[in-house]
Amino acid sequence: MSKTFQANLLGAGTLALLLAALYWALYGAPTEATMGTIQRIFYYHVPAAAASWTALAINALASLAYLATRSRKADALAVAGAEVGLAFLTIVLITGPIWARPVWGVWWVWDPRLTLTLAMWVMYASYLILRQLTPEGGSQPRLAAVLAVFFAADIPIDYMSIRWWRGQHPAPVLFGGPDSGLAPRMLAALLLSMTAFLALMAVLVAMRYRQELLRDRITGLRQRRMLAAEN
Amino acid sequence: MSAARIAWAVLRRDLLIELRGREALLAMGFYALLVIVIFSFAFSADADLTLRAGGSLLWVAILFAAMVALDRAFLRESAEATLSGLQTTPASGAAILAGKFGSSFLLICAVEAVLLPLFAVLFNAPAHTRWGGIILTALLGTWALAANGTYFSALSLHSRQRGLLLPLLLLPVAIPAILAMVQATQVFLGGPGVANYWCRLLIGYDIIYTALGLGLADLVLEVE
Repeated sequence: MSKTFQANLLGAGTLALLLAALYWALYGAPTEATMGTIQRIFYYHVPAAAASWTALAINALASLAYLATRSRKADALAVAGAEVGLAFLTIVLITGPIWARPVWGVWWVWDPRLTLTLAMWVMYASYLILRQLTPEGGSQPRLAAVLAVFFAADIPIDYMSIRWWRGQHPAPVLFGGPDSGLAPRMLAALLLSMTAFLALMAVLVAMRYRQELLRDRITGLRQRRMLAAEN
Repeated sequence: MSAARIAWAVLRRDLLIELRGREALLAMGFYALLVIVIFSFAFSADADLTLRAGGSLLWVAILFAAMVALDRAFLRESAEATLSGLQTTPASGAAILAGKFGSSFLLICAVEAVLLPLFAVLFNAPAHTRWGGIILTALLGTWALAANGTYFSALSLHSRQRGLLLPLLLLPVAIPAILAMVQATQVFLGGPGVANYWCRLLIGYDIIYTALGLGLADLVLEVE
């Protein structure tokens, strides 16, 4: 099987998962008693958050791996993780207010989790801006990796500081104590959606990673051709 | 030479240049003064506003001034390519960075020494303001800004948009520190809350980022 075929197969599988998750989110899961239909955004909001955290964890680990090994592959994985993570964080930040407005009555509150998400969005946007503003190759991967380490260290401090500040976001629904829990069909919809989003995240990271390495090859080939033309 | 002596030498040299030229110090001080004055107009400052938002206004002014100082921390080196001179000596990156940190820290503190009394007058700080607490917060907060800022100042040397990049990198990382500084100052001005937590958070932040900055100093000062 060629690599492209494999990639297409993975993409098709992810698409099927996403469609199934959409169906379950809209029809499979029962309507929530107090919030009504708007609660269904939950099946996109929470999985997007999980996908963003996973992608950003990939960024942090790949950055550490880069500092240890200075391998181009680790750097490519770090870029992929940051970009995909930022995209999912954006989804979280868009679906959150859409859900908050009818339920809490406001678009935005300075709650720990919301504020942390916003802070993380700002951080990883600044990480990508650094990559944009420094010349390619050379010191760029090293500087970006260092910045990623600084940011990863910042997240727990951010969370603590914001939690002291104020709180309104609901407690975690899963593993959140005796009163938490979901109706079985809601849980099924959530888990399906979670799987679909994580798969989508993995496919996007893999594609972006491959693209980075392919770009290196193209640059290399161009340089070789230019050298050959000169001789 | 020991690392401490190298750091001291860098710090002393930077401060000497600064005191003889007085370029950054004057510009920074005047800039911060302008911000405070403009704020007092823009917000029609009165005692009520100070109780509610005095800390935020004070720290935004300090933040602006700090950005100027931190931007210059390594800019001075690039004018005559003296950084590569420093890098060819056996001095460790951590020692150079520590020296730069020290000079930036002291410069920002000098500006704050002018800014705080001005703030007290223009914003009618309440009589029961705990100035000791505010000075402690200023020292801890300035340490946080200088520790990260010096590091990012060195980092942004490699960029095409140096002056622009520094705040873009520093502000996101500094969010918890800024939150803590503002909240603590607000409490010391007479607002509600417990300042204790915020000061402890600042101390923790200072320790973590000083260690991280010194530990990773060589990575950012590495010669190509």
